[in-house]
Amino acid sequence: MSIENLSMAKAINNGLREALKNDEKVLLMGEDIGPLGGVFRVTEGLHAEFGGKRVLDTPLAESGIVGTAIGLAMRGYRPVCEIQFDGFIFPAFDQITTQLAKLTSRHEGSLQMPVVIRVPFGGHIGAVEHHQESPEAYFAHTPGLRVVTPSNPHDAYWMIQEAITSNDPVLFFEPKSRYWPKGDVDTSASGIPLHSSRVVREGTEVTLVGYGPMVTMLLQAAEIAAEEGTSVEVIDVRSISPIDYGPIIASVQKTGRCVVAQEAPGFVSVGSELAATITERAFYSLEAPVLRVAGYDTPFPPAKLESIYLPDADRILEAVDRALAY
Amino acid sequence: MSYTDATIQLLSPEGTLVENDVTAEYLPRVTALSDEQLREFHRQMVVIRKIDLDAANLQRQGQLAMWIPSLGQEAAQVGSGFAAKPQDHIFPSYREHVVAKIRGVDPIKIIELLRGLSHGGWDPKDHNNFHLYTLVLGSQTLHATGYAMGIQFDEATATGNPDSDEAVIVYFGDGSTSQGDVSESLVFAASYQTPQVFFLQNNHWAISVPVSRQSRTPLYLRPSGFGIPGVQIDGNDVLASYAVTSDNLDKARSGKGPQFIEALTYRMGAHTTSDDPTKYRENAELDFWTRHDAIARFELFLRAKGEGDAFFAEVKQEGEDLAADIRARTIALGVPTTESIFTNVYSEPHPLMDEQYAWLTQYEASLEGGQA
Amino acid sequence: MANSDFLLPDVGEGLTEAEIVAWKVKPGDTVAMNQVLVEIETAKSLVELPSPFEGTVSALLVEEGQTVEVGTAIITVESAGAAIAEAPKPVIIDIVGDTVDSISKEEPEKAPATLVGYGVVGHANSRRRKGGVVAAAPAAASAPVVAAVRPASVPAAAASTIIAKPPIRKLAKDLGVNLGEVTATGLAGETTRDDVIRHAKQATVFKNLETPEWGAEREEIIPVKGVRKAIATAMVSSKFTAPHVSVFVDVDATRTMEFVKRLKNSPDFAGIRVSPLLIAAKALIWAVRRNPMVNSTWTDKEINVHHYVNLGIAAATPRGLVVPNIKDAHALSLKDLAQSLEQLTLTAREGRTTPADMSGGTVTITNLGSFGMDTGTPILNPGEVGILVLGTIKLKPWVVDGEVRPRMVTTLGGSFDHRVVDGDVVSKFVADVASVMEEPALLLD
Repeated sequence: MSIENLSMAKAINNGLREALKNDEKVLLMGEDIGPLGGVFRVTEGLHAEFGGKRVLDTPLAESGIVGTAIGLAMRGYRPVCEIQFDGFIFPAFDQITTQLAKLTSRHEGSLQMPVVIRVPFGGHIGAVEHHQESPEAYFAHTPGLRVVTPSNPHDAYWMIQEAITSNDPVLFFEPKSRYWPKGDVDTSASGIPLHSSRVVREGTEVTLVGYGPMVTMLLQAAEIAAEEGTSVEVIDVRSISPIDYGPIIASVQKTGRCVVAQEAPGFVSVGSELAATITERAFYSLEAPVLRVAGYDTPFPPAKLESIYLPDADRILEAVDRALAY
Repeated sequence: MSYTDATIQLLSPEGTLVENDVTAEYLPRVTALSDEQLREFHRQMVVIRKIDLDAANLQRQGQLAMWIPSLGQEAAQVGSGFAAKPQDHIFPSYREHVVAKIRGVDPIKIIELLRGLSHGGWDPKDHNNFHLYTLVLGSQTLHATGYAMGIQFDEATATGNPDSDEAVIVYFGDGSTSQGDVSESLVFAASYQTPQVFFLQNNHWAISVPVSRQSRTPLYLRPSGFGIPGVQIDGNDVLASYAVTSDNLDKARSGKGPQFIEALTYRMGAHTTSDDPTKYRENAELDFWTRHDAIARFELFLRAKGEGDAFFAEVKQEGEDLAADIRARTIALGVPTTESIFTNVYSEPHPLMDEQYAWLTQYEASLEGGQA
Repeated sequence: MANSDFLLPDVGEGLTEAEIVAWKVKPGDTVAMNQVLVEIETAKSLVELPSPFEGTVSALLVEEGQTVEVGTAIITVESAGAAIAEAPKPVIIDIVGDTVDSISKEEPEKAPATLVGYGVVGHANSRRRKGGVVAAAPAAASAPVVAAVRPASVPAAAASTIIAKPPIRKLAKDLGVNLGEVTATGLAGETTRDDVIRHAKQATVFKNLETPEWGAEREEIIPVKGVRKAIATAMVSSKFTAPHVSVFVDVDATRTMEFVKRLKNSPDFAGIRVSPLLIAAKALIWAVRRNPMVNSTWTDKEINVHHYVNLGIAAATPRGLVVPNIKDAHALSLKDLAQSLEQLTLTAREGRTTPADMSGGTVTITNLGSFGMDTGTPILNPGEVGILVLGTIKLKPWVVDGEVRPRMVTTLGGSFDHRVVDGDVVSKFVADVASVMEEPALLLD
């Protein structure tokens, strides 16, 4: 066991460093990731350490970044792209969905696409338009892609490395509201495969399910609930595509009630998928319908309103109360 | 139609070599070609045209969902196709059937794609680096640029050895030059000075939209705005196509950065068999390009060099034989397995693939006449 | 020699039909492979169709000017060799063929083997027939895959917990049934609605199963006082003053039960307790109107026939029997009567019934059915001439239209003061109550 107390940004930085060290085919590419170290400093120091052929500052063109990364992967490289902000992934949407997601099947297996696309996402940082989006559902909905998101520094350190060693394209969503808070990172072992979900707090009466930035919020809500005498279990989904339902279903079979929470708008979202599948697989255990707490189905509002828009402990606990009332 | 003073032409429509200051740079590559190589140019153009025409018939007979004709563009493709060296990588759009053939892709693979049996499927590594067709317009230009960047990072180019230094050639059409990805690929190519030739086949039509709608200036001028040199060639002149592409590839592989060729040619047929060009094209235009036909002028050239009827008859027969063979094989094609829907979606095991295929299997088994 | 038909293809990615514009050949003509046979017009354009066969034209199957669907045979060509151009039927076609097969059950001919265009896809008049071998549970027998196949494959992981759908859980909650105690009889191990109801019914019989122990002493002495003394006095006075006579009748009360159910579901009665007792009370008031002598008081000198009904309801309370009455019950609407009944019951249970509540009654109902009794022989409330007993209402065999059917049957009876009324009056009175229980619509009188 070897524990370091790191921020998530630093944990990812270290994970990237390990990946660059372990495989000379790993490349980082993105806007401002070189000498600046990235607008969130996640790639700080890597350009100096590994040089401009391993850490590339690209032109300002998201489609170009992903498209050339595809070409590099065809050549045998393992590119790790950075899309600077969630709201700017859309110019690359075509290359990601029509090319990156389909090239392996189009080649009937003779070509792998070991491309990672890192995307800071989510709100709670008071940012302007397009800088607080949660677009994970578009990519989870696309066959051929994998989508993961760490909620804490330990997972961030390991999941970025596992995403890079995966031979499939991986969308790696980094909750930017969690970049700076620190947590313990066990650098000796991950402890859990990339596409696994995990129980992060045990409880008996209601199962709370979430991912990325929402996990911390769920844990806070669980604390408050405990003080009120309600025992709540919290699950970190971690991998949004594919979803590891094992621990989730086992939990709901135990508690009989489930609340899913996410920052993204609720309509046609990852939460919708979770609710439908949990209902199907845990039907006979359910004492209440699976409830969802999500962002409203509006464009993300100006930052002054984000605390109203984003699910907080109160909204989560309101859903917990509703679940318990059935 | 789009011919300018800058259009490089080595072979006139009458079949004679054009000698001037501009062509002087390229003619040595032509004169270095053996008679056998020249005959091979002709053979490939004639045979692919025959295959192409019969494939359109196959579509009309219900054997293909669609055929994409390359009719009229044989010279642009054969010339550039032969200019590429074995170590070079070729990124096509979806109309470069003869380049595919030259690089060893059995035409039946293209038939399969258009018969609904695959989305491509051949392995470029087994086909002399001829990559799969890309049906989203212009996307392949970024892949080609990224690939070329990889070649650079591998230091597999610009070593001073033209027989091993690698380059990339990417094909795309006049319509796709309007796509953002094409501009972005020019940005990246220029920025990284990739060993890459952009080969634009300006066949003058993007389905029913003429090239004048895509660009108000000749397309060979566009790359200079990105810092990339561009030349315009008579794309129906197989010798120009060969020589200029060969020259550009050698520049690219020797560290001189990306190059851009606009090949003027004409889409003699429809965009695909679903299209009806009579709704938007004038006969006069078709007449013009018929007079500038790629194959006709080369036959004149070869006859002047001494090739006789026997050769042309032999080539014609070869075309008919190959077309008949493809016809028979097309009709005999089977179908992909149901399992193939779920395999190769991912490189690593994926729970949903297993689950869903298993479900489909037992669902089919539960029904009368179910397919396994 | 083989005759081959050329089927009209979809020439433009999803076209469904075309018009035959002009034939370029006629029967008897020799045709070469790819020779133009016909010009057709589609939604998109004018198209020439090249021959897929070499041979001689046997017949033109459609006329110029006719519009035909993709897949229709348009020309027959006799070819010199084997029918080389006839496409072997790949499975894709079979799937289309199967779909079309199941559409045209009356038409035995298979749909044509058109490769592309799939003109007829999208029609589904019926579904593929079941009947293949049900495969063994697939290798990846995880819950979602298996759950789709009913009924044998309900998620095994849930075996340790109660398998009950949400509506059943609610029913159990409403009936006060503990699902854990219910024996589940569902095919997949689930608890069914009937299981819950059966258990709830059993519960009424098996409630209070614990038999308390006697106290240590052989004799327990309870002083006679209070309510007990009062009841005793009243009972003796009543029973040994008035000559009690009783009659009983069984009646099919199914319609009353249905009426009660409908009232329960009606918004007007939301939140108001509705029970068969309510209907019996209304029936009694109606019967009193038709048999007024039953609603009177004997005073040795005169019989006082009341032209109002103060309806007494026998209520069991922890301290003993009380009989409060609803004043002027005859004037109350069904809803008001229901509310009064509920209020009266609650008050009695709370022990707050006042002497005023209990005085002035003119006729009484006792609901022994709530104790599960079929009927009984009640003692008249002092000063009254009739007391009706309502028994338990339950499913019993009954003859309906000549056949034995289960119906909700109850026994109505009563005790009456023979000083005032004779057997015929008494019988008619009880019969009237019974006829309303059988047909509540009589109350519309």
